Amino acid sequence: MESELLSTPQDFVPILIQLIVAAGFGVGTIIITHLIGPKVRTENKLGAFESGVEVIGNARQPFSIKYFIVAILFVIFDIEVIFMYPWAVNFREFGLSGLIEMFVFMGLLLLGFIYIIKRKALEWD
Amino acid sequence: MSAIITLSLLAILVLYLGLFKARRALLPVSLLGLVATVVLYGVQWGKTAEPLYSGMVLFDHFAVVFSVVCVILTILVLLLSKDYFDKSSPHVAEYYALLLFSLTGAVLVVSFHNLAMLFIGIEIMSVALYILAGIRKKDFASNEAALKYFLMGAYSTGFLLFGIALLYGASGSFDLAAIKEYVVSNPQGISPLFYAGILLLIVSLAFKLGAAPFHFWTPDVYDGSPILITIFMATVVKTAAIAGFLRLFYFCFIPLQDFWVPVLLVMTIITLFVGNLTAIVQQSVKRMLAYSSISHAGYLLFAIVAIGATSANSVLFYVTAYSLSTIIGFGSLILVKRATGSEHFEAFNGLAKKNPYLSLAIAIAMLSLAGIPLTAGFVGKFMMFSGVLADYQVLLVVLAVINAAMGIFYYFRVIVAMYFKPLDRDAIVVSGPYRVVFFLAALITLLLGVYPAWLTGLI
Amino acid sequence: MIDLIWLIPLLPLVGFLLNGLGRNVLSKPLVGLLGSGVVLASFLLSCGVFAEVYTARQAGEPAVFIQSVFEWIAAGSLEVSLSFLVDPLSAIMLLIVTGIGFLIHVYSIGYMKHDAGFAKFFAFLNLFVFFMLVLVLGSNYAVMFIGWEGVGLCSYLLIGFWFKNKEFASAGKKAFVMNRIGDLSFLIAVFLIFNTFGTLEFTGVFPQAAGMAMGDTTLLLVTLLLFVAATGKSAQIPLFTWLPDAMAGPTPVSALIHAATMVTAGIYMIARSNILFTLSPVTLQIVAAIGICTALLAAAIAITQNDIKKVLAYSTVSQLGYMFLGLGVGAFTGAFFHVITHAFFKALLFLGAGSVIHAMGDEQDMRHMGGLKKHLPITYVTMLVATIAIAGIPPLSGFFSKDEILAHAFSANKLLWVLGFVGALFTAFYMFRLLSLTFFGKFRGTTEQADHLHESPASMTVPLIILAVLSAVGGLLNVPSALGGGQALANFLSPVFADSAAVTGPFHLDHSTEYVLMAVSAVGAIVMAVVAYRQYAVKGTVPKADDAPRGVLAKLSYHKFYVDELYDTLVVRPLNALSVFFYRIVDRAGIDGLVNGLGKRVGESAQGIRLLQNGNVGSYIFMMVIAAVLILAFGVFNG
Repeated sequence: MESELLSTPQDFVPILIQLIVAAGFGVGTIIITHLIGPKVRTENKLGAFESGVEVIGNARQPFSIKYFIVAILFVIFDIEVIFMYPWAVNFREFGLSGLIEMFVFMGLLLLGFIYIIKRKALEWD
Repeated sequence: MSAIITLSLLAILVLYLGLFKARRALLPVSLLGLVATVVLYGVQWGKTAEPLYSGMVLFDHFAVVFSVVCVILTILVLLLSKDYFDKSSPHVAEYYALLLFSLTGAVLVVSFHNLAMLFIGIEIMSVALYILAGIRKKDFASNEAALKYFLMGAYSTGFLLFGIALLYGASGSFDLAAIKEYVVSNPQGISPLFYAGILLLIVSLAFKLGAAPFHFWTPDVYDGSPILITIFMATVVKTAAIAGFLRLFYFCFIPLQDFWVPVLLVMTIITLFVGNLTAIVQQSVKRMLAYSSISHAGYLLFAIVAIGATSANSVLFYVTAYSLSTIIGFGSLILVKRATGSEHFEAFNGLAKKNPYLSLAIAIAMLSLAGIPLTAGFVGKFMMFSGVLADYQVLLVVLAVINAAMGIFYYFRVIVAMYFKPLDRDAIVVSGPYRVVFFLAALITLLLGVYPAWLTGLI
Repeated sequence: MIDLIWLIPLLPLVGFLLNGLGRNVLSKPLVGLLGSGVVLASFLLSCGVFAEVYTARQAGEPAVFIQSVFEWIAAGSLEVSLSFLVDPLSAIMLLIVTGIGFLIHVYSIGYMKHDAGFAKFFAFLNLFVFFMLVLVLGSNYAVMFIGWEGVGLCSYLLIGFWFKNKEFASAGKKAFVMNRIGDLSFLIAVFLIFNTFGTLEFTGVFPQAAGMAMGDTTLLLVTLLLFVAATGKSAQIPLFTWLPDAMAGPTPVSALIHAATMVTAGIYMIARSNILFTLSPVTLQIVAAIGICTALLAAAIAITQNDIKKVLAYSTVSQLGYMFLGLGVGAFTGAFFHVITHAFFKALLFLGAGSVIHAMGDEQDMRHMGGLKKHLPITYVTMLVATIAIAGIPPLSGFFSKDEILAHAFSANKLLWVLGFVGALFTAFYMFRLLSLTFFGKFRGTTEQADHLHESPASMTVPLIILAVLSAVGGLLNVPSALGGGQALANFLSPVFADSAAVTGPFHLDHSTEYVLMAVSAVGAIVMAVVAYRQYAVKGTVPKADDAPRGVLAKLSYHKFYVDELYDTLVVRPLNALSVFFYRIVDRAGIDGLVNGLGKRVGESAQGIRLLQNGNVGSYIFMMVIAAVLILAFGVFNG
């Protein structure tokens, strides 16, 4: 901790340089390609690129919100599992209280899960 | 801590009540739970407070008082919501639960002792609000408000997080006590990162508070959201934001005053002028109140500009006075809008004839917002001004008093409309809970105006 | 009696509550009885209090009584208590406010008899008396400020009493806004006082101030701010234009608020804070200069006005100018003496004018009056007394009070005296012009009005008679020593002004000089009275119609020197422009960007809204980012 506390702005100079180089490269290439690249405008070039397949209709179509809901719900429980890894590693040190705390955590998420099911958020139709 | 647990469990309980179609129980259970929370806080009062859960939260007097204010304001909002949302949405339980979750976040914001808790509190508070702002799914304005609030809120969260990260980078800790220790023990060698962190925190907290130049969301969101949610945002959220702001700066950053006070000073002045000048030209009462809430954010910032031992008391008083009046102001707007379909000043014409008591309550609220003596608003402004003056910020006081005078203009338009613009209209039906809320709020406003000592000695 | 001080303001408040809450229930006679009864009770209590103060003064004590009601604000070092202070100054003010207040309440019973808002009127009037008493009795600047704001509010409510007339309502608003400018200044002064002295109590501030050096900068600032406050409430340059417009209110209101009591609050406040002003000679000079300028300007306007109440309004402004002149030259007693006598005769004049207007069926233009002497004998006689008094013709009251101010002015600066004398000539002229146009010559109104002419009922004439007696003998309160008088008022008030007197030393003027001054002003006034009488009563000249051609000076005077128009150009329009700028550019163009809210443009195509919508939030965030960058740039620059 102590050594970290003593870090000075100078220590960050490499990071700064890295930032500048990264940003500079990006901006620089964009500018240079604009300047030196040949400018050809054809219909194909201005159209949307869809892996070589011909464009069919407009991309801005409504799609079912259910994809979105399922994705979000998945993330929640995904993160629950991520929490368990560090907890499992330190399981012995935490002792009984650690176990109880994890049960409380999972209990709360379970309540949420029951709520989701009862609300029929996972049913497709 | 038991209060926070109660609140969270209460919210889940309400959610399940909605699931099992126990609609009638929603409001009583929520109110009961909130009252229980207040009681739990009351039990805690007076005991010496220690940081809990590895120094995550600290329930000192400051935290307890502001939490109780938030909870009580929520109780008033809930009382007003009887049969407000039943009409517009089938998901009433979600509405109550989200309000309670948001309240939980607000309580965390006023009692944090660790920057991580500040962040989590603000997020819990805000995320619930993003949904609440758009709870009228079919209403275009409500949707727009929710989206705007969400986008800009997410943006300000970025600032907050970055600010916290910079503070951590410099001091090596999220803990308030440790950060304070860092500031005090290195008067010379404070890292530039730390300064940048302070500025970023100012940006994000000013956003939550609705202070210029980060106020842009306020008028649109307040205007577009359902009025009850607007009340909640304008009272509870504002209370939590300013209390959190003050807590952080009072705890940690006082030794660096010379650095950040000028920034806040300029922001305060801009806030006052933007809020008041724009409020003057509004035609809609709702929008007028939204802009006036910006100017009140400016007055609240006074306490931080002149930060010191009395700041907490001034903020407490001001925010209480402001919130009570705001509840009356927006609450009456619900009734007026329901009766006339309009939110304009004209909708209040001739109200005094048909609804004398309602008009009286509104008049008291407007007088209090304008800061006329014998109302709580006057005492609040007085405390703010004298605090700043004691700090020798004479310019600020002069500007503020000019602004107070401008404020009187637009608040009086409501009174003038009610009392001096005759119009034949039908009396508005004021239901029981509304009567209770208006009566209580007006009464407390007057009582505090006459005998402010009840509140000034608390912290 | 002293223990009952708290009852004096409480009674009118009770009256206000009863009348206000029961305005639809109580019958008119009951309302009138209640409204005047509470003020009468206050008056009797005030008499008792005054008697005790008087006895104490006779015994040679300073006679200062403080009664604390309760601790109001206690925050940090700030302690404000709601407490009342009775000393010779406030004791006299108590008598004026409750005494004249009572007479005007009685008068209003007759005057407002046919008005639908009878109870509301009495409720407001009672509320006004309450706030005025709070103002007078307050023992610290905070309580005084509450009264100060309260009377402003009541004045606003009463000016706009007939709010269905748009012009009247906007007159009320104008008065309120102008007063707010003064109030603001008062508020800042209060903060500054607290900051300097650490207390707001009079008994704490003044002794500390007495120990400060002459010309102290803080005192200069405080007194200037207080003076600006006084110019608002007491209608002095530059904030005087609201008072003439305030005549839109019912006439008893003009008499009570805009002549006898509220407008003298500024003078009372300065007299109360006299030590602060004495130690700030620059402010005193400004006070004197503003006072004399107002006196002359208003008098010059009054000469050409044709509305009977407007003449009286400008006359009030002018007389208030005299009082400020008195304060400015250190004649605190003289100024206060003029407050008292002015309260008598100006209340009388307004009530008399009210009686005339009542008889004429709400006609206020003097060009349509004339010859009312035989129809309204009591009104005529009482008005005559008041006119002689205000013109400064001995031995009626106005002569003594005005003379005392002019004598002080003479010893301070000869020019001030000359100007004051010219103003006095104007006064005599326009007052006798008013009297002649109204009561002499032929009747010029419609035949309908002629049939309707009648003397007012007893509830209106009795107050007139009482006030006439007071106007006639009021001067005896303070007969100068040059005329063998005992200067009773000066002796009575001396403890209030003791600190100032210690600084300035005793005032002295040769008796022979004083005789000459008195003679000059008395003769001048009489000459002007005769001129006006010959012009308007004997020759029967009638002022020209509104659009008739006039000379340059007459035109200036008739149009009130275009002060209102000047303010409109200099202040109102730029402010409007600024606020429109903020609305259009900053809010609309800057913030709302290309869209002006959804509600207004629902009709536009969905495509348009969607695109504009994006621009909207984007611009918000863009501005946030700019602000954040500016703040960070500041950090770099500063840290």
